[in-house]
Amino acid sequence: MQVSKAFISAACMTKIGRHFKLGIKNLIHEVTACMEEKTGSRPDYLIVASALSALQTHQLDIASITTQYLGWNNIPSMRVETGETSGIAALELAQYIVRSGAASKVLVIGVEKMTEYPSNKVNADYAKILDYDTEYVRNITPPNYAALVMKEYMRKYGVTRDDVAEWPVRMHANAVSNPYAQLRFPVSKEGVRNAMVISEPITLLDAFPIGDGAAAVLVTDESARGKDAVEVVAITSASAPSLYLRDDMTELPATKAAWASLRRKLEAQRLDEVALQVHDSYSIYGILALETLGVSDRGKACSIIPSLEYLNVGGGLKARGHPIGATGLYQVAETYELMIEGFAGKQYSGEYALIHSMSGPDYNARLALLRRW
Amino acid sequence: MKHSIPIFWRNRESHYRIKITKCNACGKPAYFGRDRCPYCGSRNVTIIESEGKGILVNFTISYYRREGDEEHLPRIIGLIRLDEGIMVPGEIVDIDPSEVKEGIRVEAVLRRYSSDDPYGLIYYGLKFIPILKK
Repeated sequence: MQVSKAFISAACMTKIGRHFKLGIKNLIHEVTACMEEKTGSRPDYLIVASALSALQTHQLDIASITTQYLGWNNIPSMRVETGETSGIAALELAQYIVRSGAASKVLVIGVEKMTEYPSNKVNADYAKILDYDTEYVRNITPPNYAALVMKEYMRKYGVTRDDVAEWPVRMHANAVSNPYAQLRFPVSKEGVRNAMVISEPITLLDAFPIGDGAAAVLVTDESARGKDAVEVVAITSASAPSLYLRDDMTELPATKAAWASLRRKLEAQRLDEVALQVHDSYSIYGILALETLGVSDRGKACSIIPSLEYLNVGGGLKARGHPIGATGLYQVAETYELMIEGFAGKQYSGEYALIHSMSGPDYNARLALLRRW
Repeated sequence: MKHSIPIFWRNRESHYRIKITKCNACGKPAYFGRDRCPYCGSRNVTIIESEGKGILVNFTISYYRREGDEEHLPRIIGLIRLDEGIMVPGEIVDIDPSEVKEGIRVEAVLRRYSSDDPYGLIYYGLKFIPILKK
């Protein structure tokens, strides 16, 4: 059976930051207005990815409220939430809708307001990506798990604190050239080591910043494809057992499963030459993502971080920022711009790009493979 | 109110005792009492109770600020390998963060998780303390 194709035909982003003057609707309006300027038309389906909208802005059904605010009456809409992978999950759904023929232009907006309350409130809400009954109520949080994983990784492979700091050093260097990034300044290994401790050995500079943002992509079928289009080859996803049930905490099991069903589509491409976006809410996860995807041998990823030219070109979650439900769409929008006209001072002429997203300690993972059209 | 009373009450067995789900299909044991095996999905499981003792195999000292939590920072969050062989995440108390180390023997005790201060409910559950050598 011939499966119809899905494309990304346009992308828009807002700068990530503490936008006290902008509410969730204003952020949505910014990327939507940008999208209207670029495409000159309205979509026939709207998907909004947001993980925390109900908890941070007290708004249920943000998708319908968005259509009301935009004056897009009669356009079907839906909110998608899968924790930190909400953005890629929304793209996953959008491409299925397009391939099914139910719509030919699906606008996917990722949006998150994370500064409506003090950080301790958003920290508490974010921690609910773990199991509420057995992890959250026992005061276990995502950075605690990342810290346990980082310690286990350092012990198992003889990796040092400073080796892991290669990650934030590279991400911050990348973000300097990204106009939409939240943290556009370089950091040193010494700075990472001496930053405030979040959950030792993880410091503030191993962790993503708290910021608001919105990003959008237009997913189309062949008939609505713009001249600057990138094909969505496939999106695969998987889930995984709780961290404490795993035999090896230094491998990402959901990522591994999603990758097993995607890798054959990349044909003979070497992943170290492909434009890559990996999920790095904490430095250690970016490193484990490279190893789980086979870009590096196990225990060796820190040493190749400087040599991967197209790794998280926008600075990753670490430095571009991580407005939770919007992040996947920032990854996609940056990659789209990189493939079409260059992004953050980089030009990429390769055929493929791979985007990795995961939630918590890989409780679910999603991979999106894009191809130049 | 930090937690729903019905949710907390319903989960009381899991907050006050360490239950283990033993799968009769794949044979694997897993932390907390469940209706199904988290490894293979089988409903053919037996719930047993742990003695609550084990070894601290990994820990982190956490300064992560969560609403209502600040007065208890830093917290020691660790992974404990129970004598029954399974891994459990939990908080370690009654030891100074500068003295905690991997390999110490710990046991589960009932402690306060959180409270609706100043006049509200107090939520209790299991944490781990070092076993003192006699």
